[in-house]
Amino acid sequence: MSKRLWRCHVCNDIHLGIKGPEICPTCRAKNAFVEIDHNEAMKMIGESGDPIDTKERLLQVWEDFTGQNEYELNEDREAVEMLASGVLHNQESGGLKYCPCRATTGEPDKDLLLVCPCNFPAQQRYREDRECWCSLFVKG
Amino acid sequence: MTEKGERLLFFSGRECPHCAKLRPVVEAVSEEEEVEIEEKEVWHSEQNASLMREYGEAIAEACGGDLGVPSLYNERTGKALCGKIDPESIREWIHEEP
Repeated sequence: MSKRLWRCHVCNDIHLGIKGPEICPTCRAKNAFVEIDHNEAMKMIGESGDPIDTKERLLQVWEDFTGQNEYELNEDREAVEMLASGVLHNQESGGLKYCPCRATTGEPDKDLLLVCPCNFPAQQRYREDRECWCSLFVKG
Repeated sequence: MTEKGERLLFFSGRECPHCAKLRPVVEAVSEEEEVEIEEKEVWHSEQNASLMREYGEAIAEACGGDLGVPSLYNERTGKALCGKIDPESIREWIHEEP
């Protein structure tokens, strides 16, 4: 089933998914999402969102992400900073925050699965070793 | 330099911590066994990334599904190793028959 674009008609939140959320996470309106097209979504999004293109900003994003989950950032700060540098390099050269410990295949759908943070909790490495492929995220 | 088809390759990423840890292990085994293991960095060289994709099937299988680094590929045998690799496995990988 392919994903489509949805907009909350109350606060203009944008969502990409099979269907819109029942409750808007921003304004809490119920059943407020209407399907829209790419053009409308991009106009709504505009220049929103602060760039995540510095190591400090990326580390903050990762810390916020881990703060609400069962995993945490690796205690090895040198390794974490090395990975941040790699992710930012890959974003600059390849357009997305690809994992520096894997390699793209050239197939867009497959490569989207390599964007950090990837879906590591579902991967064998995390289940067996309690860490993601590159050891950035480790189970607490 | 060893000819293509006969090379022992070490695919790595410059910003991959596991690759940095494995590098001295690969270098030590290479020296002990007196064989050349060529390092190919894949995120700063499209040529090296293409070479890795050429051997993608065996590497992805060794990595559990994706192309991963660090990984080793023996062109002679088509055998790949990936991830946490110990020196003994590298020795076997070097000397294994096709």
